[in-house]
Amino acid sequence: MSVLTLTIEGRDVAGQTGGTILQVARENGIAIPTLCHLQGLSDVGACRLCVVEVEGQRKLLPACVTAIDEGMKVTVNSERLTAYRRRIVELLFTERNHVCSVCVADRNCELQDLAVELGLTHFDLPLLSPQASVDATHERFGIDHNRCVLCTRCVRVCDEIEGAHTWDVMGRGTEARLITDMGIPWGDSNTCTSCGKCVQVCPTGALFEKGRSVAEARRRRPYLPYLVAHEGRTR
Amino acid sequence: MYRLLDRITRGLASADELAELESLAAMVRDTSLCGLGQGSPNPVFSTLRYFRDEYMAHIDDHVCPAGVCKMEPREAAVAAGEGAR
Repeated sequence: MSVLTLTIEGRDVAGQTGGTILQVARENGIAIPTLCHLQGLSDVGACRLCVVEVEGQRKLLPACVTAIDEGMKVTVNSERLTAYRRRIVELLFTERNHVCSVCVADRNCELQDLAVELGLTHFDLPLLSPQASVDATHERFGIDHNRCVLCTRCVRVCDEIEGAHTWDVMGRGTEARLITDMGIPWGDSNTCTSCGKCVQVCPTGALFEKGRSVAEARRRRPYLPYLVAHEGRTR
Repeated sequence: MYRLLDRITRGLASADELAELESLAAMVRDTSLCGLGQGSPNPVFSTLRYFRDEYMAHIDDHVCPAGVCKMEPREAAVAAGEGAR
């Protein structure tokens, strides 16, 4: 393992070979917004919120899956990046039915936090208002597809940590939905171990414990000590 | 983007919506993971580069220079401009 030096936001930093821009940035206290990333799980680069500018690269690169390189010059915050991130969060909001005031995750929601952080005060785009379903067939948990942002954290935690691989994604584009097993009701799944890890990692109120009311879905992340959503943040 | 283009071809769109289309297309191009996403707004960019005047004719003059688009009556466009997009 050798050490590489690079510049992030004008600061000289160092990281191990094979480390990602996101890792090195966070080690050095430089914040990069993320949604699908969860330390301890594999990274998929799906949410596009961690995109950064790298000097000499025409494209924007997702920090969570881009390996660092010697002499790299990375810009984390620029007017363009903030505008794009705000638009990405806006698209997430308008694609499904996110209504914070009636959501179990209100004030414990990473999507809500991002909207506040990025200053998303209104929607320019029209709401798609899809007819998404709710699956409450499981004894202890439920999934509300209206609040799902398809970050696939639940898919990864179920596969990589629990080893059950109950969750998967079916369909494409706006039709994409999370499914349990081969698209059967969650309650009928015979691979689900009812461990509840998916519920704990969900950034929004899509996966919830039954019996919780509005704003009561405080995530018990310390229950999964090997996973940390944001350094210095426990929910 | 499809909705915005559809509104332009029906003569219902405003100049703001054309700007919206351009910014959305740029964002999709720059932040996409795969080549499909990066390339998908290209038709919008190339038609805007070479036929911007036709876009503007749809919006400002309420005519389709190529005679392809079925434009909504002008009153509908005025009503749409005042109502929610």
